Amino acid sequence: MSASGHGWPRLLRRVASRLIRSPDARFILDDLDELLARDLERGMPRWRAVARYVRNALVSAVSVRRGRAPSSTRGGGRRGGGVRGADEAGGPLPVRARRGRPRLPRLPGISWLDLKLGARMLVKHPGLTLVATFALAIAIPVALIPPQLWGALSAPLPFEDGERIVGIENRDIADSQPEQRSLHDYEAWRAGHTSFEALGAANSGVQNLVTGDGSAAPVRGSVVSASTFDVVRVRPLFGRVLVEADEQPGAEPVVVLGHDLWRSRLGADPRAVGRRVELGGITRTIVGVMPEGFLFPYSDHFWVPLQARAVDYERLAGPSLWIYGRLADGVSLERAQAELTAVGIRAAADHPSTHERLRPVIVPFMALVTGLGGPGSSALPARILCTFLLAVACGNVGTLMLARASTRSNEIAVRTALGATRGRVVGQLFVEALLLALLAAAAGLAFGDWLVGRMVVWNSFFPFWFDLGLTPATVVYAILLAAFSAGIAGAVPALKATGSDPARRLQGVGKGAGSIRFGVLSTVLVVAEVALGVGFLTAVGAMTPGMLRSSGAPGIPADRYLAARLLLPRPVVPDPSAPPDPEARAARVGRIQEEIERRLLTDPAVRAVTFASALPGMDHPVRSVEVEGAPPSPSGAVARTATVQVASGYFEELERGVEAGRGFGSADAEPASRVVAVNRSFVQHVLGGRSAIGQRIRYPGGAGEPPGPWYEIVGVVPNLGTGVTPEAAAAVYHPAGPGRISPLRVAVRLASEPVAFIPQLRRIAAEVEPALIVEDATPLDQAFSIQRWGARWSALLFGLLAAIALALSAAGLYALVSFTVSERRREIGIRISLGAQSAGVVRSVVARALLQVGVGIGLGAPLAAGLVGRVGGSVVMVREWPLVLSLVSALMLAIAAGACARPTLRALGIQPSEALRE
Amino acid sequence: MGYLGEFEQLILFSVLQLEDGAYGVSIREAIEARTGRVVSSGAIYTTLGRLEERGLVSSTVRDANPGRPGRPRKYYALEPSGARALRDAYDTIQAMAAGLIPRLARARAGLMAPYERHRAFRDGSLG
Repeated sequence: MSASGHGWPRLLRRVASRLIRSPDARFILDDLDELLARDLERGMPRWRAVARYVRNALVSAVSVRRGRAPSSTRGGGRRGGGVRGADEAGGPLPVRARRGRPRLPRLPGISWLDLKLGARMLVKHPGLTLVATFALAIAIPVALIPPQLWGALSAPLPFEDGERIVGIENRDIADSQPEQRSLHDYEAWRAGHTSFEALGAANSGVQNLVTGDGSAAPVRGSVVSASTFDVVRVRPLFGRVLVEADEQPGAEPVVVLGHDLWRSRLGADPRAVGRRVELGGITRTIVGVMPEGFLFPYSDHFWVPLQARAVDYERLAGPSLWIYGRLADGVSLERAQAELTAVGIRAAADHPSTHERLRPVIVPFMALVTGLGGPGSSALPARILCTFLLAVACGNVGTLMLARASTRSNEIAVRTALGATRGRVVGQLFVEALLLALLAAAAGLAFGDWLVGRMVVWNSFFPFWFDLGLTPATVVYAILLAAFSAGIAGAVPALKATGSDPARRLQGVGKGAGSIRFGVLSTVLVVAEVALGVGFLTAVGAMTPGMLRSSGAPGIPADRYLAARLLLPRPVVPDPSAPPDPEARAARVGRIQEEIERRLLTDPAVRAVTFASALPGMDHPVRSVEVEGAPPSPSGAVARTATVQVASGYFEELERGVEAGRGFGSADAEPASRVVAVNRSFVQHVLGGRSAIGQRIRYPGGAGEPPGPWYEIVGVVPNLGTGVTPEAAAAVYHPAGPGRISPLRVAVRLASEPVAFIPQLRRIAAEVEPALIVEDATPLDQAFSIQRWGARWSALLFGLLAAIALALSAAGLYALVSFTVSERRREIGIRISLGAQSAGVVRSVVARALLQVGVGIGLGAPLAAGLVGRVGGSVVMVREWPLVLSLVSALMLAIAAGACARPTLRALGIQPSEALRE
Repeated sequence: MGYLGEFEQLILFSVLQLEDGAYGVSIREAIEARTGRVVSSGAIYTTLGRLEERGLVSSTVRDANPGRPGRPRKYYALEPSGARALRDAYDTIQAMAAGLIPRLARARAGLMAPYERHRAFRDGSLG
């Protein structure tokens, strides 16, 4: 009929002919044309006629594909009712789902065969599989981190209607910095709100808990308003929660305990209510125990009433508070925000001096307690960045796939000639990449899950609702990322490999040369990877020996010492009648320090006691230092050194006497004495080996600040592990009297096992001062290994990155050289037949690869210098890193040569007769 | 003679009705005219192909309008075995249905909501 003659009907027919695969396709298409022509003749609108055509064509295609007509021999009756006149009514056509054996959904161009071939390719090319899986198994979890963290953080609180609990913060209009000293505002908001069912406030912190048996340990808990329990709607396990009467000044001090604390410290005593405990130096009566898992607002194990009235404080004074509320039923966030904004504007008008720039803002509860994700922020930038990293890794894998596709160009050409559509070929290569990516995603997820399991030790570091465990959403996202990776690494090279005219490609069959170009992109990738590999490996190589050497080791028999930090917490709710007095506090801490030392020394197990701001093997703070009269360093580099405050007699108590000069006497502890001791590394690296005694040093001030006072060196001491970074190898010791050491750490040398002494140390500390927190009580050798743990992890991370860069660049070079060989097979054959030397052939094959490695090393050297300078800058490392760099460069060249070897040998083995015959 | 599905019976009845004018479009229209069901061309040809394999119909390709331009069509004709199978199928269904139609109506009524049943009795559509 005429409709099929030209123009759009012809186009329709062409499209339909692709869909309908049947021996009778010609007649079916004729019928479709005829029906279209009739519809048009009957005056049906063209769009409607086309719609009918398309529908008929699609249903026909499906019927033909199923090889079975609707309402046919098997299965039940047709679908009820809706079929009659369905076409006119726009309802479904009578096509029934086939019953019986379930079938996989068919994607165009992808079949089980592709999966099988893909799996076979993975086994056949184990090198590529390993390298690509390794790269993607790192990159996919990295891309998963931002959404995973974000999801875990922004999950609703695990309470009834938890998503309706929000935080409220006073934020500066200009820089949106939160102002947490908002006691006045809290009271104003509580009085004025209608949008909230309840408002609460809390301040979380660590306090010392002493139970009836005298045992003491620090516990994290909160000072909270009684209304908090209305906000969370959680009932106590037994007893009662806090009530408003508890908040009144002069009320009996009470505490509500968490489940864990009740179990661990009170032995799950069912009659715990009414018992008394000493918490932060105050004796409190237990009034209730909360159910298991209740750790609101952060990771808290007890709750005491907030006894603070705004009238006692100036505006923007008093305790820092987290303020939160539960939205009333049916109230939207917008309405609540509008109400708060009105209150805020009123406050700004009433108190312009303090509140002119402050406005209350509703933030997610997560943002309130973690400071992350305030208004307008999201994980999107991090997500984009990490996905970009994944894309780079995929680009690499894609290069490898392209190189492999180039060696398979003959196969592709033949398949195309035998009737495979481009979709089929691309589909197969995509499936190969997809299998690879899924393998990598599974490996990555397993690794990530293992890692999360190892991070349980950080539990109290995260808020209580934070759960990093694998969720179905994570797995789905990982699969999506795998598909995305397969798209870049598989489909793009495949499209490139199949892009040109099949006839031309077929001409190349047997000549060993595809029509695929090895692009600029792959060159850039190889160069970048060599550079990254050289940079990271050099940094790791230069740092690791420094880390493992003496600078970190304590230099004393650390396993005989018990180390702990002593901390006198400041009151959460400051006393409005007494302003803070640092001198009085220092005097109090000094008395506590002296009393603890005295009591410890009376214990028969204790051999020695000393105090310092950091103990051997721990990380010491590092500062820039200046030596009087020393010429400025030609490079402009400023020497840096660890600094530490120590009690008098420190070195003697550690049984490491001074090597030159003298130790500290009690007179040196006076603030005006201005004497210091330095360690051997200081003499060696900062003073260049000159005699130290009598020299003067000072700390240069920061930008625009005057330098500090001069200190005279009176003693030289052995190296006593002052930090794991090499720059902390040099150290300066300042004598400090009781109460002047901050943070205050105690080292107790024991005749017995240090761990066994921890309860005794806590008991003594609690007797001296019930509020005193004994933190991080651990044998000194363990403190040392904890310090090293972080350094080890960063070295591992760097090493991993370097290994990825190394593996990818080696694989990229291999791909490049194989490709060059296969492309120039014929030419090489001719040259060999004309008597060319092997050296010339090798040169021509590996020239480009070597150039890339050379450029990569050239770019990697400054990167290495930058990394070394940034991470360390220490005298120890700076001297060694060029050596490490040359070693790494040699390694890189060796790997590159290894990668080039096989394809080069293949090139040399080309028989002229064969090459010419092609 | 083999089982005939409902759709196969519809096709065979159409071929019977159309005599020597039975091809895709005309069969489609015959089914639509008598039953109101719209079927796809692909389904028709697939079913006819299967019936032809079983020897129930035969096909010939010839010009639609001899002597005038146009594409040839594939025409189908009922074979004696096809006619027998169709007769058997029809007899079978008649034999099974004999005397049961009023009961079918009542069974339907049992599934109706009370007000529907009331309306059906009022309209006289229940036997």
